[in-house]
Amino acid sequence: MTAAAMTERPAAYVPKGGYRLTGAGLLRSEWTKLWSLRSTWIVLLCAVVFAAGLGALISASVPSDQGLAGADMALSFAMAGVSMSSVFIAVLGILTVTGEYTTGSIRSTMSAAPKRLGVLAAKAVVYGAVVAVLFSAMVFVTFFLSQALLDDPALSVSLGDDGVLRALFGYVAMIVYLALLAIALGSILRNSAGSIAFYIGVIMILPQLATILPWDWVADVVPYAPGNVANTLILVDTSQSTLGVGESWLWMGIWLVVAYGLAGVLLKRRDV
Amino acid sequence: MIEIEHLTKRYGKKTAVDDLTFAVKPGVVTGFLGPNGAGKSTTMRAIVGLDAPTSGLARVNGQHYSQFKSPLTEVGALLEAKSVHAGRSAYKHLLALARTHGIPAKRVHEVIDLVGLHEVAGKRVGGFSLGMGQRLGIAVALLGDPAVLILDEPVNGLDPDGVKWIRLLLKGLASEGRTVFLSSHLMSELAQTAEHLIVIGQGKLLADTTVDDFVNGSGKARVRVVSPDAARLAEHLAGPGITIASPERGVLEVSGTEAAVVGQTAAAHGLVLHELRTDRGSLEDAFMQLTADSVEYRQTVEGAK
Repeated sequence: MTAAAMTERPAAYVPKGGYRLTGAGLLRSEWTKLWSLRSTWIVLLCAVVFAAGLGALISASVPSDQGLAGADMALSFAMAGVSMSSVFIAVLGILTVTGEYTTGSIRSTMSAAPKRLGVLAAKAVVYGAVVAVLFSAMVFVTFFLSQALLDDPALSVSLGDDGVLRALFGYVAMIVYLALLAIALGSILRNSAGSIAFYIGVIMILPQLATILPWDWVADVVPYAPGNVANTLILVDTSQSTLGVGESWLWMGIWLVVAYGLAGVLLKRRDV
Repeated sequence: MIEIEHLTKRYGKKTAVDDLTFAVKPGVVTGFLGPNGAGKSTTMRAIVGLDAPTSGLARVNGQHYSQFKSPLTEVGALLEAKSVHAGRSAYKHLLALARTHGIPAKRVHEVIDLVGLHEVAGKRVGGFSLGMGQRLGIAVALLGDPAVLILDEPVNGLDPDGVKWIRLLLKGLASEGRTVFLSSHLMSELAQTAEHLIVIGQGKLLADTTVDDFVNGSGKARVRVVSPDAARLAEHLAGPGITIASPERGVLEVSGTEAAVVGQTAAAHGLVLHELRTDRGSLEDAFMQLTADSVEYRQTVEGAK
């Protein structure tokens, strides 16, 4: 290159300041991404309608002379649709991550946030918060709906009754926990079909099937399975469950740390 | 300024990029040329941190891409056109990216207008044509008004109008002092857009030169002569180092000499010329010559196993 050509060159462009990649920016970005997909609206609507609808339908059809009684029984009718609903929530959680990999939008996302971990955290926070708010509303609406529909006075429960409020928020906590687990799972497996199959097969069904096995130790271990550790939280009377309320929270924490630890390490290490 | 130093990337046993070293300077458009599978995309992905190098490093303005506090204003990248969720609108895709950096929605509208997607910005990207997807990718790259632009096959799928537009756009951006690095398999396109050229094959550097030098250095320049006395002219021109071909009657293609020499020879012998022209070797020719060597190299290696 000649000296003349060098001097003809314009001075290197300096980008205008003022813009920064921030955690708040990542949260807003994930919020925008979540609500800009039609599937989000459809799946969340399905989740809420199934949970509330099934709870109402079953509550309305419970006969009043079967000797059914107790707060846990009443709540189990009201929340009959929640486990179905949790599948919708988990699938959508998985898709918020795997959808980016299958469509290739992950390349745009990770180019904008090359440290990567912030994206996973933002997805978890945004989706967890959305699910928490939505299901807090759903749980209370369904509870009052169910109470209005249940004929049997023995199934009449008040929010002020011992443990009822805690159990209702337990449902919310369980759903949020499963939603967070699903996001980590999607981030680890990166494949929609694989992640959904793993969630339904290994997290949901396997622990239930395992209880059929003849070995005692299996029954001892099953309550600690990632899909089961939240089960204590949704009970009004927790005296019969293997895990106490505190232990339940602890194990949810342990599984989330394990899942996000693995997801984070893989996210950093693997090529996008 | 993009600096690639001894960059090597292996996927399992396959070496995609092999000890590559070069620099892309600001102020000019630099073309990145190589046959399919030469490692162009891998190199570009390494620059923006999507692929971690097996060894070596890729730096932008002296830093690793992931160390930037505002990556989008430092580097704008178009890697694969459809790096977008098919169910999201173009506007929301850009907005989501803009929000990570606090870039206002006003800038999103600006880049949408700039790439000509105004009318379809609210539509889901899944229905976009290849060219529209490409324009959206360019909008993403321009979003942060970055100092460095990395574009992988930007003219792919664009109509002639779009090709002309992006050519002018890139030259304009380079003249503002930005670093513009684009890959293409359309060598003629690069000849019109780029000033500097990085050529790779088999993941190895084949040439790092200006476009002019690349074409001239290919040794393919030849003189085309049309003459009713072509046969006699050929006799007089013949000499050591000169090859003469006659693709059709009355036409000669002479290499190893210059048009002036041919003209003087014809005048000295009183021969009539209808046409006398220097055909500079095309970029394609030079490119084919270089990459043919790298293909042959691979075959000998495979044969030796």
